[in-house]
Amino acid sequence: MFGYHLRLGLKSLKRNPVLTALMIGAIGLGVGVCLTTLNVYHLVSGNPIAARNDVLYAVQLDNWDPQDPWDDDNAQMPPTEVTHREAMAILASDIPDRKVVMHKGAFVLAPGDENSEVKPYIVELRLTTGDFFPMFATPFKYGSGWDRAADASAEAVIVLSKKSNDTVFGGEDSVGKMVKLDDREYRVVGVLDEWRPVPKFYDLNNGSFDEIEEGFIPFSRSEMLEVTSAGNTNCWKPEPINSYREFLNSECVWIQAWVELGSADKVAAFQSFLDGYVTEQKKTGRFQRPMNNKLNRPDQWLEANEVVADDNRVLLGISFMFLAVCLLNTVGLLLAKFSGAAARVSLHRALGASRSMIFRQHLIEVSIIGIAGGLLGLLLGYLGLLSLRQLYNGYDDLTRLNWDVGFMAMGIALLAGIVAGLYPTWRIMRLQPAPYLKTQ
Amino acid sequence: MLEMQHISKVYRTELIETHALRDFNLKVDEGEFVAVTGPSGSGKTTFLNIAGLLETFNSGTYKLDGESVNELSDDARSRIRNQKIGFIFQSFNLIPDLDLYDNVDVPLRYRGFAASERKRRINQSLELVGLASRMKHVPAQLSGGQQQRVAIARALAGEPRFLLADEPTGNLDSLMARQVLDLLEEINRGGTTVIMVTHDAELARRAHRNVQVMDGKVSDLSPYEPRPLNEGAMAAARA
Amino acid sequence: MEIRPILSAMLRNKTGVILVALQIAITLAVVTNAVFIINQRLEKIGRPSGMDTDNLIFVQSFGYSPGYNHQVTIREDLDTLRAMNGVIAATPINGVPLSGGGSATTYSIGPEESHPDEAGNYYEVDEQGLDALGVKLVAGRNFTPDIIDYATGPSSKMVPEIIMTRAMAKKMYGTEDVVGKRAYDNLGQSAVIVGVIDQMLGAWVNWDKLPQVVFHPYVGYGPLIRYAVRVEPGQRQALIKEIETKLGESNTTRVISWVRPHDYDIERSYKADTRMAVFLGSLIVLLVTMTALGIVGLASFSVNARVKQIGTRRAVGARRVDILRYFMVENWLLTTGGVVVGAILSFALSFWLSNQFELPKLNPAYVGIGVLAMWVVGQLAVLVPAQRAASIPPAIATRTV
Repeated sequence: MFGYHLRLGLKSLKRNPVLTALMIGAIGLGVGVCLTTLNVYHLVSGNPIAARNDVLYAVQLDNWDPQDPWDDDNAQMPPTEVTHREAMAILASDIPDRKVVMHKGAFVLAPGDENSEVKPYIVELRLTTGDFFPMFATPFKYGSGWDRAADASAEAVIVLSKKSNDTVFGGEDSVGKMVKLDDREYRVVGVLDEWRPVPKFYDLNNGSFDEIEEGFIPFSRSEMLEVTSAGNTNCWKPEPINSYREFLNSECVWIQAWVELGSADKVAAFQSFLDGYVTEQKKTGRFQRPMNNKLNRPDQWLEANEVVADDNRVLLGISFMFLAVCLLNTVGLLLAKFSGAAARVSLHRALGASRSMIFRQHLIEVSIIGIAGGLLGLLLGYLGLLSLRQLYNGYDDLTRLNWDVGFMAMGIALLAGIVAGLYPTWRIMRLQPAPYLKTQ
Repeated sequence: MLEMQHISKVYRTELIETHALRDFNLKVDEGEFVAVTGPSGSGKTTFLNIAGLLETFNSGTYKLDGESVNELSDDARSRIRNQKIGFIFQSFNLIPDLDLYDNVDVPLRYRGFAASERKRRINQSLELVGLASRMKHVPAQLSGGQQQRVAIARALAGEPRFLLADEPTGNLDSLMARQVLDLLEEINRGGTTVIMVTHDAELARRAHRNVQVMDGKVSDLSPYEPRPLNEGAMAAARA
Repeated sequence: MEIRPILSAMLRNKTGVILVALQIAITLAVVTNAVFIINQRLEKIGRPSGMDTDNLIFVQSFGYSPGYNHQVTIREDLDTLRAMNGVIAATPINGVPLSGGGSATTYSIGPEESHPDEAGNYYEVDEQGLDALGVKLVAGRNFTPDIIDYATGPSSKMVPEIIMTRAMAKKMYGTEDVVGKRAYDNLGQSAVIVGVIDQMLGAWVNWDKLPQVVFHPYVGYGPLIRYAVRVEPGQRQALIKEIETKLGESNTTRVISWVRPHDYDIERSYKADTRMAVFLGSLIVLLVTMTALGIVGLASFSVNARVKQIGTRRAVGARRVDILRYFMVENWLLTTGGVVVGAILSFALSFWLSNQFELPKLNPAYVGIGVLAMWVVGQLAVLVPAQRAASIPPAIATRTV
């Protein structure tokens, strides 16, 4: 019977091609617009490190101004970065399985080979402990990260991003080769493969949707080379800073800190370590705000940093209102269409079709509209994303069609078709056949 | 056997009530050919709609094959229409974008027959009405008389016990009308009970029995009187 | 023309009427709020920067080699830039205004803790700073070359003189007449205000203190330095190329990271707002089109269903214009029903948006204009089917089909 209903449905759709096109167009447009905003929303609200969500924690300590919270709108929110002193304290703890303290720095990158065609150019690097790579599950194309000994000795080693390896070495395996940073030589120990965490969860202070840095070097070189942050530096305390040493000892926050804690016991132990540390610091006159040390899992971290802009939510809401209008339109068109089909349906009823058969047949018809609308919506959504790429230049990752969302859009379209078709189908199913049989 | 007792049917709108049938009584035996006549608005069509289970009624009893039908669910009524009843309409009511084969196929599909059985019945009934060779044509390519014959084939394909015809020749010229009526008689001779609503007294006289409806009631039950099939006699019929 | 029979005819197709009225209502609610948001964003994007943005070039240099000398490089770079044909003025600067990156600090009117702090964007420039940015001095004087401090390392020392915008002056002192007054940093050090500029925007476009800008006569210690270069109108493209080549070749102990027009950074900063405006604008167009199609659909359907009735009306003496008017009035009633609900929905949506996202409350004038617009759209949409109805011949009444 399904095949027969399908055939009748297709015939019926062919009977009013303009009406059919309008309905498919309405659903397609509504779904296309929703797909576009949903796709962007899905990406900005995604958790790119979901697989390790239960073991990673971003560390927050509240060393901020006793008179004035870090976030005026949310007094419970400690600073999103830590000072150099706290970074050192976290690094000294042996409770976490792994520890990352890091910041961004600007350098001039040049090939180690004097004869290279590549001119020195400015790059942003990440100065981090070597645990970064296993903790954040970074994919390696060649080589690997560095070990803790390299961290301890501030060794001149570098992990290149795929992009910078492509630029400097033409994409070859450069492990063991040398590059120059600010005219100092570094040995390449690893090259990352394509890696696009969206949002860039590990550092949300400096462009949540920026690309990853062009290379990674040991954090311990930061102090050695007196590197200042190329990202945000925030200070609250009136204190003279007349040297790099004074800067490191200041209450300025500029370092991102993460730990990996493999068990609930370790989480509890590390939390009490932090609380103990802050209690000690309070005795020296620091940390005058209430004790507020936070360990945030990646999903909580993305949430707390309000990565999803309100604009995304407004657009999403308005898109769904648009879809609602498209659906109302489709319902109206279906009612008009089905009321034109009254005579035919009455005939089928007279020939013995039960209500449920009529219902099923028309449901199949509206499902076809839903599916066709979904396919159209997929196409329009794709085009929408392409045109958004103009508006989002520099953030191509946010306009890449995500197939999860694509399938969701197909689901929405089918559901939309059925929801829109339900009332008209119900009405035509309840139709009294007799009056429509007498005349044409 | 079809038996209606004290049937009444009222149409209500916000403003008025119309009594389409009041205390309507009729019994039609197996194998009869009954013509129902009466002026416009007398209730003929309402009777046929009720007889064909297209409409429900307000009071009285209606037994089809001894089974009271007014309490049946919509699905059960659909099944009876599909299995026991065949309809023929004044305006043929063929589906314009289906070919003859598919038009005849419609009730068989709802019956749930296997493909081979449907094919056999469609061929057989189109054969009977003499249109087997044109089964791939669509209705618009046929004359009115041919269209009505397709409608008859569609009604017969399900091998119904009752054939209900509503002004089956109303849209046809007299020659074609006669062919259609010949066909109905032939079907009736095969054992199918035929009930035909018409306002045309000439046609009515070819039935075994005439029932005249007036103001929603049966006003005259003329007995079964075989008449000679003679043009002159028909012309002399009461007009 | 009587409204009552039209209304009762509409009530007979209740569902269709309600569907279209609902579409009109949602459309009105979305359009008013979206246009309101768009206008706010456009106003924000269109704020005057206070600078000669059209003729401004920014340059970033980064010294990296052990042989790099920051002070000498800056001296030579400025000499090169200022000697170029078409360059009006050039200054070292610590950040690009309206770029989303910059520095801010707090100032107060007295050294004591009791004085409230006021935050401001600050720009470190030399004596050509004001001229290079193209800001307008309205009181006092510019910095003199002798007080510019060329730093050699980190320092918390306060500069001796500052210049601030009127907005900053008003905010701190409650008056624009501040030349000669002192401003204090949080270490209790102070600077004298030597000049006031009319207006200028700072670093972060979403910061409510954007117009609060202060200039320091100071040049940072590097190795990163930026320059603002103001050029003669029409010369910018050519000079960008020239600067890239000349500065790029003059000194190999540093790299020129970029040379770009001011618009580049401004466009980037307002990208989110532009995006929102464009997206909402496209949505409005689609939404209104969709609703207009809905109106056309409903009207066509009701014309089709009433062909015979219309023919009969014509047969008994209705003129074409009567038929036309019938459908126009019907649509007007429908739209009116829709916009009444829509006006309520508009305020409800605005209430939700302002509660949820801290957006400002909808200005009722937008709803008024929206209602008028919906009436016009409705009448235009119904025109085609209404004309088709008006052209139905009266002879149709006598045909049986």
